[in-house]
Amino acid sequence: MPGGHRLAGLHDVELATLASAGDRLAFGELVRRHGSAVRSLLRRMGAAPPEADDVAQDAFLSAFEAIAEFRGEGTFAGWVKRIAARLYLRRLQREKRLAAVALEAEYGAAQSLQPDATSRMDLDEALKGLGLAERLCVSMCYGAGLSHAEAAEALNLPLGTVKSHVKRGLEKLRARLAPTEGAQLEGSSANG
Amino acid sequence: MAELDFERGLERLFAQTPDYSDSEAFAGLVENRLDRGWNLRRMLIGAAGVAGGVVGASQLIMSNFLHRVEDASEGSSKLLAAGFAQVKPSLDLFASAQSDWLVICLASGMAILAIGFVLTKVIEEI
Repeated sequence: MPGGHRLAGLHDVELATLASAGDRLAFGELVRRHGSAVRSLLRRMGAAPPEADDVAQDAFLSAFEAIAEFRGEGTFAGWVKRIAARLYLRRLQREKRLAAVALEAEYGAAQSLQPDATSRMDLDEALKGLGLAERLCVSMCYGAGLSHAEAAEALNLPLGTVKSHVKRGLEKLRARLAPTEGAQLEGSSANG
Repeated sequence: MAELDFERGLERLFAQTPDYSDSEAFAGLVENRLDRGWNLRRMLIGAAGVAGGVVGASQLIMSNFLHRVEDASEGSSKLLAAGFAQVKPSLDLFASAQSDWLVICLASGMAILAIGFVLTKVIEEI
């Protein structure tokens, strides 16, 4: 790739500026940098890997179409993640899979999770123990950076319902992640 | 406070992303879809430009412009015919009546191409 080295040294905002002028190589570099983050978020929201990749591709294509709207106020990855989260929700809505979320909202999440203090669990595993609504709400708010109100709007749920899903999800995650939380946070502080 | 710390820690955990082994292939797929979309768009723009050119040129031909071009080209076509006649005196291909129409057809064709090109560039810029 002839322009690869030139592009590798550029900041995301500079690459986005080039992409907005039609430079597809610059946009390709952004996909290389942030593709895994977007795919990972979608998997954490509950999408199966092939579906997550499919939605992630659509999200990047949508991002390219709307790249002029990215002004570098937040991170590029955060911007694409929000696009991807909304696209995934739209897909769930289209396929009537969000009905399960509405049902959970109505009757409350029945799924209980007994933390196993001896097992070491990472975030991906811990998220699997959450109900669909909790998982979506937590991932959208803490993974995609949406506010509770934005998540409520995207999910077409009352704000209070989203807040309670988030609260319950956090409680379960805290219980699940507790044995390793300290170690993981230390590790991430050392990296950051 | 502990709640806030946990939430910040959770955000950091979400920010840690695994490095997928097929990330290069994924980027390639996105680039391919971008290229495909771009080529399709170029073809559509080109087709729209040519269609616009055909419409524009046909409007010109159908209007009085035709007679004006005919008048203007009469002299030049005679000169052209004379030139060809000198090269090949026996060739009667460029008889004046026919050559007038030939010039008009050529001019129309070039007008279609020119308008199509201009429209294509304008649509691309927009």
